[in-house]
Amino acid sequence: MRFLCFITALLISSASLAESVIQFSWNTNAGPLNPHQTSPNQMYAQAMLYEPLVRYGEGGTIQPWLAKRWERSDDGKRYRFFLREDVRFSNGDTFDAQAVKLNFEQVLANIEKHNWLELINQMDHIAVVDKFVVDLHMKTSYYPTLQELTLVRPVRFMAPSAFPDEGHTGQGIKASIGTGPWVRTESVLGVKDVFERNPHYWGKKPAFDKVEVAVIGDPSARALAFESNLVNFIYGLEGQISPDTFSRLQKNPDLHTDISAPLSTRLIALNSGRFGTRDKVVRQAINHAIDREGIAKGIFYGTEVPAPFLFAPNVPYADVGLKPYDFSPQRANTLLEQAGWNLNTATGVRVKDAKPLALELIYHGHDANQKAIAEVLQANLKQIGVELALVAEERSRFYNRQKNGEFDLIFNNTWGTPYDPHSFVSGMRRPSHADYMAQVGLPNKASIDALIDQLLVSTDKSKRKAQYAELFNSLHDQAVYLPVTYQRVVAVSKPELGPPTMSNTVFDVPFSDFVQQK
Amino acid sequence: MLKYIVKRLLLLPPLVLAVSLVIFMFLRLSGAEPALAYLRAASIPLTDQSIALAERQLGLDKPIWDQYWHWLTHAAQLDFGTSYMTSRPVWDDILYFLPATLQLSAFALFITLALSLPMAVWAARYRDKWPDFSIRGLAFIGVSIPNFWLAFMLVLLFAVQLRWLPAMGYGGLSHMLLPGFAIAFMSLCINARLLRASMLEAQGQRYVRYARMRGISERRIERTHVLRNSLLPIITAVGMHIGELIGGALVVETIFAWPGIGRYVLNAISNNDYPVIQCFTLLLTMIFILCNLLIDIAYALLDPRIRLEANA
Repeated sequence: MRFLCFITALLISSASLAESVIQFSWNTNAGPLNPHQTSPNQMYAQAMLYEPLVRYGEGGTIQPWLAKRWERSDDGKRYRFFLREDVRFSNGDTFDAQAVKLNFEQVLANIEKHNWLELINQMDHIAVVDKFVVDLHMKTSYYPTLQELTLVRPVRFMAPSAFPDEGHTGQGIKASIGTGPWVRTESVLGVKDVFERNPHYWGKKPAFDKVEVAVIGDPSARALAFESNLVNFIYGLEGQISPDTFSRLQKNPDLHTDISAPLSTRLIALNSGRFGTRDKVVRQAINHAIDREGIAKGIFYGTEVPAPFLFAPNVPYADVGLKPYDFSPQRANTLLEQAGWNLNTATGVRVKDAKPLALELIYHGHDANQKAIAEVLQANLKQIGVELALVAEERSRFYNRQKNGEFDLIFNNTWGTPYDPHSFVSGMRRPSHADYMAQVGLPNKASIDALIDQLLVSTDKSKRKAQYAELFNSLHDQAVYLPVTYQRVVAVSKPELGPPTMSNTVFDVPFSDFVQQK
Repeated sequence: MLKYIVKRLLLLPPLVLAVSLVIFMFLRLSGAEPALAYLRAASIPLTDQSIALAERQLGLDKPIWDQYWHWLTHAAQLDFGTSYMTSRPVWDDILYFLPATLQLSAFALFITLALSLPMAVWAARYRDKWPDFSIRGLAFIGVSIPNFWLAFMLVLLFAVQLRWLPAMGYGGLSHMLLPGFAIAFMSLCINARLLRASMLEAQGQRYVRYARMRGISERRIERTHVLRNSLLPIITAVGMHIGELIGGALVVETIFAWPGIGRYVLNAISNNDYPVIQCFTLLLTMIFILCNLLIDIAYALLDPRIRLEANA
């Protein structure tokens, strides 16, 4: 009997000693995990190791994180951050104002690489006020400063002792040492990355000991890995798992599945500078003709939802009460008829000034979802007498067409949280963006750009709100965008992990929120 | 023989040089812009400034001949540059990933030979009977099935349903069985049919009839007179299969999360990662040339009637 008790106790203790592991997968290795660099560093992994001063909360609210509070000067040019005093890097070093200053200075030393981000362009200098108080001085009153400080890179913090001895972090780092809940303990190229709990973590300790991230490049292979228990957690936007597979897994009562709030918009830009789409009525008719509901259900199995507007209402400043273009081929036909686009019954294509309403939609040839949407849109537009030719392009040529405005219609996406709406609208002013090219033929393009200039440095929130409303109303009325669906992150977890939580951005994968299941 | 081999090896450098030029120029004339793919992969918005910086960093702002000369002189010292996507030296990456691909391809070649031989013997022995019909039917199916589809089906059956074998990952024999079979299936079917036809042809030869008249047992005739004389076409086929198997491995590796060069190269191709594409294509060319040379030598060793020196 004593022996049996001993064996039982041994079994119980060994079960409790067994490591609890979240088995995730990603299409490539995590990279060197340099917080101040882009590719090949993977953002999901950078977010596990490195933390921001402030975090992006629901609906774009800014929440304290490494900074427990902050103050903004009246002119909007100085931000004072009061840091938590209990934060240690994973090597035991103290996180303090000096570490913040040194990190920002490393980023500024490599400004050429980061100047696409307006926050970095607008940073003037950083001053240590006290051991745990730091001032960020800006060149202008750039209002999205706090929002951009939530980004995964390049504004998160690594231990200054891990900086290179010479040069800056853009040229490499000694080790990946952050303040986040995880540390990377192993990386096997082409096989996996392993993360373990940070023993010095200041916040709530993750319930699981390890996160093992297998390198799996193909969504179907990822689904098979999940079904054969090699992976127990899937999380991400399109490309992580196909919508039909997710829909199938949703029906399995043993699994936990969830879908996030909209995080970005899948859209098609209509070129206001080219024949056909130059006519506002044509653009509005196209907006009436597209069957968004059919696309969301038929192609995305409900993982994406119809997008009547450029930004979902949960995006800051975007809920401005616009009237959607409802799905009505009849209304589209009436609009075109009234504008003098008469149907040629022989060809089935509308004509004006002896020119047929024939347009080209450019899509990325490797993107199966874009191709499927393009085919639906082609059929939708045929109903209203618009001939749509589908043109598949190789990746870089696709971006080149966006950049040079060589399109009638072209696929695009908003930048997603936390970049929306400010970074997306900021890009509308840059000639190398598809949005600029799409808007170039608008009669009020100059006033749109001026409005964006003003709202980005506006210090009065209510005034800024009105400016955004004016901008979104104008763009919606001009119908220069054809919003298709709102993209959402999907998550599937096995019973041993319990239900996943959904984070407010694409790249913060909520590994730390899982609770051990009994 | 030695003279022939030396001659063939001496042809290698000019051939590789010509191939390098063709690859380099074709990539640049394709109209693709790697800087744009690089920036999008890094989630950096495209601005004139960011594109110019990326082109400068990737060395794409120099005249094309300068780029070629720079690449060639460095490649001669086994420095194939740095991958645009991984920021690691290409040669180091290739040396890291290639062995796993070669291991998988070699295993697939082993499966091809180990299974196609008994299948062909069986089919030839029972010509126009059910074993022959079933193997011919299987061969017909085999050449029609794409390897990636077969790979998914194998995982579904043996890993998800039956749970006999691991679905994916890198490891020992159990990890190699499914990807190895998926890659080998087409080649082994072709091989089996080829060898069967060759054996049936050999069975009609006079030396086989004479052997029968001498009272030699059927099994011995099959083994020493028919099979050995039928192997020559198989050697040619193996030369072709090596290409098929490596090509098959490139695709199938992605499905089985096998850390070979396939995923690395496919990713490079879709992102216009020129240094990787150039190095890999050049390497593959050399592997093909060397394999063909080995096949020629094997021919001579197996069949003394073939004189390499006379052809050379």
